[in-house]
Formats: sequence, structure tokens, C-alpha cells
Amino acid sequence: MTETGSMQPDAQRLSLLESVLSAANLGAIVLDSERRIVLWNRWMERHSGCPASAALGVDFFTLYPDLLQQRVGTAIGQALRDNFPSLLSQTLNKAPFALYANAALRGERMQQAVAITPVDVAGATRHCLIQINDVSNAVGREKLLRDQTLVLRTETFLDGLTGVANRRHFDVAMEKELRRAKRIDSALSLLMIDIDSFKSYNDHYGHQQGDACLIKVAATLAEMLQRPGDLLARYGGEEFAAILPETDAAHALQLAEAIRARICGLDISHARAGATKHITVCIGIATMNIPNPVDSDALIGAADRALYLAKHAGRNRVMAQSQGKARQEIG
Amino acid sequence: MIPLTELEHDALVEIFNIGVGHAAASMSAIVNEEVKMSVPSISFLNRASAAKLLSNKDDERICGVSQHYEGAFNTEAMLMFPENKSLEIVRLMVGESVPLQELTEMEQEAMSEIGNIILNSCVGTLANIFQLELHGSLPLYHVGTSAEILSASGSPDDTTVLMLHIDFLLEKQQIRGYVAFILDLNSLQDLKHQINRYLLRSTGSA
Amino acid sequence: MDSKKTVLVIDDSRVSRMITRHYIANQHPDWIIEEAATGEEALERVKTLSAHLILVDVNMPGMGGIAAAEQLCKLCPHAHISLLTANVQSATRKQAADLGIGFMEKPVSEEHIHQLLASLEK
Repeated sequence: MTETGSMQPDAQRLSLLESVLSAANLGAIVLDSERRIVLWNRWMERHSGCPASAALGVDFFTLYPDLLQQRVGTAIGQALRDNFPSLLSQTLNKAPFALYANAALRGERMQQAVAITPVDVAGATRHCLIQINDVSNAVGREKLLRDQTLVLRTETFLDGLTGVANRRHFDVAMEKELRRAKRIDSALSLLMIDIDSFKSYNDHYGHQQGDACLIKVAATLAEMLQRPGDLLARYGGEEFAAILPETDAAHALQLAEAIRARICGLDISHARAGATKHITVCIGIATMNIPNPVDSDALIGAADRALYLAKHAGRNRVMAQSQGKARQEIG
Repeated sequence: MIPLTELEHDALVEIFNIGVGHAAASMSAIVNEEVKMSVPSISFLNRASAAKLLSNKDDERICGVSQHYEGAFNTEAMLMFPENKSLEIVRLMVGESVPLQELTEMEQEAMSEIGNIILNSCVGTLANIFQLELHGSLPLYHVGTSAEILSASGSPDDTTVLMLHIDFLLEKQQIRGYVAFILDLNSLQDLKHQINRYLLRSTGSA
Repeated sequence: MDSKKTVLVIDDSRVSRMITRHYIANQHPDWIIEEAATGEEALERVKTLSAHLILVDVNMPGMGGIAAAEQLCKLCPHAHISLLTANVQSATRKQAADLGIGFMEKPVSEEHIHQLLASLEK
């Protein structure tokens, strides 16, 4: 049935489907059984910056070689071979595809929820469909909710006297940062900072002045630990701990030395402080490097031991210990 | 209930151990940490007994992820953890502290993916070893009492539940969960038949 | 002409042991195949058994496959030892590499067993 100017029913239907796919507000990629791209919709063009002409006929893993060994690769295999669909959640799979709100501007990848499903095609071997949804808004809203919940809990996570994080907050953060460091393959450093001869300061100057000293020291430490990922906590009476994510031993040492010098430079008089006559700190440093991941007890233990060595080497100094080897740096 | 011989039982336990072993490898790649999973035992139960096994108290909440499989055989498969355990698993896998008492929507998605990985691995291994064609569905998340979760599939009350006890180990945390397959009489008989076919083919005897 | 060899298969699953035995016997009907269901049992066996090839399932109750393999490396320095596991992740690969032994992914296929046996001939 044909009329001049109108299409065959099949062609009409195909045209409709193509329009729908173009208008669809999600990414659609279809692979044939050889993993070649046979469909790449408008949404994919818009958000990847890659036109369909550059994608069609190309081996998917030539375009995205990193995904072969990851969940996306396994899921494509499961769809094509086993006929099973897979869900790739946004939390367990951080932005696997290079997709952006504005492909020309790039910036941060959009948050993606991905489903990879088998597709039967008449007259051909099994294909698979990759659907990608932009969930950046939902992720943003949930982050806001989570942050607000944490703010509401701040009372239970702060030290009353100094206003820095308390021990409970430290314990939770320590676990979280260790896990994160392992996940992203980066170093994590821990500083244990202890005020020298604090008990005799308290005894000599009284508890009120002791408190004032703690507040001043905490404030100074907080000023020096300004990176968003760093966490400063009051670990014990006169002991503070600093978690430094993505910081290797060399940088941790640099920072610890800067802290030691700054506290010394505060010139808080301490008549009973031995040689210096001022408030000073000892700092023990421990660093976890990914080839040898450790748990929090081991890392805290190593920093503690380094701190102990610093105290016994004569106070007002910094000592680093990583992977069981102790290196001494003089204050 | 169709009783399995000791050998058939052994074969099924071994097949599921291989399945969860593959799932553990996938999960380990996600968290970049060692993940171990094993199936220490399996049992065949009716629905009421299965519900009791999952929670001691009637009102204890269970989180479940279900997928439907059909083709060579039909079954509703479900991964289940008591609610507090599922919070732990997600926290371990996602790497963030969970400030709320329930899983948020994102965390439910993560839980759904965990179910998707484990169920596809178990059933996929079964299908490959038995050389069967199957088709699966995308995961669905449920939360409720164990009785509610098990009847979510809507199948009749005289179905049998094949229950796998799962031991999950990550970062020194050991978590016990369950995978349930809801099977009708035909599927049960099919299963026994497939196990025997496999034994004959791979050991030269059954 | 290949010489008759002795194989020790260590796996808590009887079916798994049967299948491995079957695959090996198909290739070498004259070889001696012994079995153990646990690591502890295997360590006892090797006191009186001299094996050329030892296959160890990783996921076993008791001491487990890795610990057993560690001991077997010392007790049977001339044996070829291979871990069997469905859970092939970087930790497993590292453990095998550290011990200087191979590993095979489960489910074990007849093809892979034959490849392993063929490599022993050399």
C-alpha cells in the first residue's frame, strides 16, 4: 500500500521508534553479540560529546577499554551469554561512563544509574541494551539529606571544650577514611599530637588556664588542618589526632613539623616545661600505603608508638613510623 | 517435598558454592577488598518454616531482593538479610556510614545490585553447569516481615522453598544471609532430574 | 610413554572430588588418584603418600585450602600444587603467587584439567 508522499507501514513504524529513541530522556546503547555498537541515541550524543557516526560499528571496548574488567564488562557478558539483566547502582559504580551535563564544558561526570539487559533480535543472535539514567539530582538531594542529618547529630560528635571533633567522631571517621583510601588506592596518614608536660601545666597554672591552653592549641591545630577531607579530633585529655586522607608520609611529616613549630611559636609560658619553658607538642606519624593496607588499630598503634618514641627522645619533636620502620626527625 | 540423595545434595551445595564464589569475586572488585562468600548448607522447607527460619520474632523486618527466572525452569529467587544486617552490608560495600535506621533510596539501589550480583551468579552457575537456557528479570527491593517477603511472589502456598544459608565475610565482619528459591512441584522434579543428568555426564555415574 | 603418577585431590565436596577424578582418569586411566576431604586429612595422608600433583580446594571448613597448601608446599616440595577456587580475586592471586603455586578457576573443566596434566609432562 503506497501513496505518493507517505511511507510504508513498516518504515513509518521504524521512523516513529527512531523519533521516540531520539526524544527519550535516557542514554540507550545497543551492542550486537560481537560487542559492536549498533545503536547510540541522541541523549548519548549530547552527553558524551561523541556523535553516532563515531560510535556505530565500533567495538564497545575500543571506545571504553577501562570498562572491560569492571562490572560493566561482566554485565555485558552476562546479558549476551547468560540472558540475565544487571543493575549498576550509582553508589557502587561511580559514574562508569564519561557523561556530562554539558559535554562541551565537561566538568564532573554526571551520576549514573545503569541497567544492562539482553535483547532478542529476530533473525540475529542476542543483543544487549545499555540504559543510562542521569541521577545527579537524586544523588544531590540525598547528599543534602545526609548532610543535614549529620549536622543534627553534631552535638554528639563534637568535643564540648575545644569545639573540635570528639573521640566518637574520630573512631567513625577513621573507619570511613581507611575504607575510602583502600577503595581509591591512596595513602592515608595519621598524626597523634600530645601536649608535652600538660599535667604539670594544669597543676601549676590551675585547671581553668589548662582549659584555655587546650582551646588555644586546638584552635591553632584547626587552622592548620584546613583541607576539607582532614579531620582533627580531641582523642584524649591532652591528646589530639588528625586524619589526613590522600597524604603520604613525606607530606605528613612536613605538616607535622609545621604544626610542631607553630605550637612552639605560640610562646605559651610553661614554667615547669623543662628546657623550652613554653608549651610544646610531640607528634607521632603513621602512614598507610596501599601495597600494605592495615586496619585502624594497627595505624593508631603505629602512630602511638611513634609518639612514645618522640616523648622519650626529648619532647618538642616529631617522629614518623610507617610500615614498622621508625624514622626520626628532630624538632 | 522431593528428597535428594546425599550425592545430589552434595552436588547442589557445591554448585551454589561455586556461584557465590563468583559473586564474591565481583563484589571484591567493587570494594577493592577481600570478600569471601560460602554456602555452608542448604535445606528444603515449606513457606511457613522458611519464614520462621528467617526471623525469630514475628515483627522483625527483613530486607529482600528478588528476581524472577524462567525458561528451562521457573523460580522466584530472593536474597534476604535481617534489616540491621542489610544496613551493615550496604555500609561495608558502599563505604559510607549510614546515619539513618533504614536504607535510603540510593542504598536500596545498592542493595538491589548486591542481590542482582549474587542471584545472577548462583542461577547463572546452575544454568551453565546444567547447560540450560534461562531468562532473568531485574531486581526488586522489598522490606517487611519474613512471611510478607516470601509471599511477595504471589505463588501458591504449597510451593517448596530451597533455602541457602550464606556466609558473607568482608573486613573481618561475618554476616549471615539467605538465598531462597521458590519452586513448585514440577520445578523441584526438574531440579532433581538436572542434577542427575549432570552427575552422569561429569562423573560417569549417578 | 608417560610414567604413572599419583594425584591427591583435596575438596570437602564429594561430587567435586568425583568429577576431578573422572577428568584425570579419562586422560590417564593408570594414574593413582587419592582423596582427602579436609586440609587436616590431607596433611595426614602425605605422611605416607608421595604425590606428584596436589589439587586443593580453597573453600573448606577447618584449616582451609590456603593454610593446607602452605603446609603442603613445605611437606611435598617436589609436588605440583594447584589451588581450586570459584572466587578468583586479587587476594587469591597474590596468595597463590606468594606460595609459588598455581590456581584453577571453578567450575573445573575437563579441558583445563587436561591442559594442567599436559604441562606436567614437560
